[in-house]
Amino acid sequence: MVTQLIKGNTAVIIGALYAGCDCYFGYPITPASEILHEASFYFPMLGRKFVQAESEEAAINMVYGGASAGHRVMTASSGPGISLKQEGISYLAGAELPCVIVDIMRAGPGLGNIGPEQADYNQIVKGGGHGNYKNIVLAPNSVQEMCDLTIKAFELSFKYRNPAVVLADGVLGQMVEPLKFPTNAVQPQVDTSWAVAATSQTRQNLITSIFLDFEQLEDFNNRLQKKYELIEHQEVAYEKYMMEDADIILVSYGISSRICRSAVEQARNKGIKVGLFRPITLFPFPAKELFKLAQTGDSTFICVEMSNGQMREDVLLATRCMRPVELVNRLGGNLITFDQVMQKIEEIAKGGST
Amino acid sequence: MKHLLVSGHRGCAGCCDAMATKFTLMGAGEDCIVVSPTGCLEVMTTPFPETSWNVPWIHSLFENAAAVASGIEAALKAMGKKGNTKVVAIGGDGATMDIGLQAISGAFERGHDFTYVCIDNEAYMNTGVQRSSGTPFNASTTTSPAGKVSFGNQRPKKNMPAIIAAHGSPYVATTSLAYGKDMIAKVKKATETPGPTYVHCHAPCTTGWGFDTSKTVEVARMAVKTGLWPLFEMENGEITKVRKIGTPSPVEDYLKMQSRFKHLFSKEGGAEEIAKIQAIADKNIEQYGL
Repeated sequence: MVTQLIKGNTAVIIGALYAGCDCYFGYPITPASEILHEASFYFPMLGRKFVQAESEEAAINMVYGGASAGHRVMTASSGPGISLKQEGISYLAGAELPCVIVDIMRAGPGLGNIGPEQADYNQIVKGGGHGNYKNIVLAPNSVQEMCDLTIKAFELSFKYRNPAVVLADGVLGQMVEPLKFPTNAVQPQVDTSWAVAATSQTRQNLITSIFLDFEQLEDFNNRLQKKYELIEHQEVAYEKYMMEDADIILVSYGISSRICRSAVEQARNKGIKVGLFRPITLFPFPAKELFKLAQTGDSTFICVEMSNGQMREDVLLATRCMRPVELVNRLGGNLITFDQVMQKIEEIAKGGST
Repeated sequence: MKHLLVSGHRGCAGCCDAMATKFTLMGAGEDCIVVSPTGCLEVMTTPFPETSWNVPWIHSLFENAAAVASGIEAALKAMGKKGNTKVVAIGGDGATMDIGLQAISGAFERGHDFTYVCIDNEAYMNTGVQRSSGTPFNASTTTSPAGKVSFGNQRPKKNMPAIIAAHGSPYVATTSLAYGKDMIAKVKKATETPGPTYVHCHAPCTTGWGFDTSKTVEVARMAVKTGLWPLFEMENGEITKVRKIGTPSPVEDYLKMQSRFKHLFSKEGGAEEIAKIQAIADKNIEQYGL
């Protein structure tokens, strides 16, 4: 097995190549641009397609075209670019097309800055574009997962014919860690069972999101909701760390969860029973598991995220407000500090704030 | 003379944006409102709460400077305050020729009274030197890297002045930051001409093109002297003035100044590629009568 020190953004392209991605369509934006650079270097070298689009809208609609033809396609961007892509993402979901979109979140709103944030949660997990659709959303917290979850995103996106998003942030994109290379590589292949691949065998297939008849569109929408229920039933992924006897439960994803892990260890050293619950899939959200945790103890939840509490709202819903759900956050491109998390843990351990 | 873009900004030493913007403001004068889409110029001149601008300035997102400028011009007219106030959008080549083209086309077609200045440094410099449709043939960028197989960007530069002229613009000009007086005069003329007008400035970027920070003007001048960047004015679709270059310099003299073309001098087959670039210059010399 090959291990290499690699940047998170590079790991995304390594994962994509092993996942059999054969078309990359992108547009430059900090802090996601290295994904584009690496794709421009490796895709042509391996006889795959790389296209730099003239805009974010063009890139996502090239994804629409490539996915319609049954190819394993992807794009990547960051907050402002993802906002521009939203119409296309809604179309992809509406036409039930598989594709992978990587969002290396930066601080907003508006131009904001290029520091890390986790404030695209709502626009990615809740849809963002128009209509009753959902993306499958995977949240890596290491360079290894930037690669592995990109591969997973391709798997799930094809399994359910649904857009899948790898939701990471500026830190994960830019940081360097050892990456164990995957051992299996999927060969790029056109899926002709539903695609419109300009062959006689795919002539009967139809890719569309237009249903002018109201009843038809309602039926289609209901069918989509059934698909999302199935995904919720089958694909929830999370990680528990020192959760067995935890009185205080940190809920955190992505880079913030790495800080939480350190805080859990430090708190345990001080005799405070703290655990970490890390959602790996944000849709499907591990709501049932969180509900169970809320039912079984008199624990306090602390959501740790670099947003104004966007994930916290889902934790509140999941726990049905049975237990207190606190928030530790930073905004504007700032990282949450270890001390900030510890302070909140100690405050709650002393019974100071609930 | 009052400086309308003051020193202390965060541009690189030898920054083309800073020079081209100074010339733009010297041409447009103090009574102007500037719109800047995302790019180096915006980032380096306006880290809140600091600013280098001594004129009203507004930032727009990457793709919509011309739309914001349209709105400002319409609002000034609606309030009866347009008078002699100039509305000037200043965008890079990515913002102008790629993602912003739709908004520019709309603004020129509607006929807003404004001037669009493109500072063309031939790639996306603010995000790390990715190719744009302004990137010249055979230049290496981070998304069109030269390597064992490739000589870099394989597409010709988009002819943006011709696109604007096709909208019926009364005044379209090309300029270069090596010729300050030329640029100031052309921006002045553009802003004084009623209707939507356009000035396209060739602007070498020390960071993205790979040359010493003291050489920005020399590189820019050499682009003109080789015929790779013709300087002309177009009024109502007709070329009315061309800057003659005398005996043209060979394109090698321009290419060898920059590391983005260095593969042309080290890679097998480079001479043939340089000949293709010479053919582009020769065609310009003939077409524009340089």
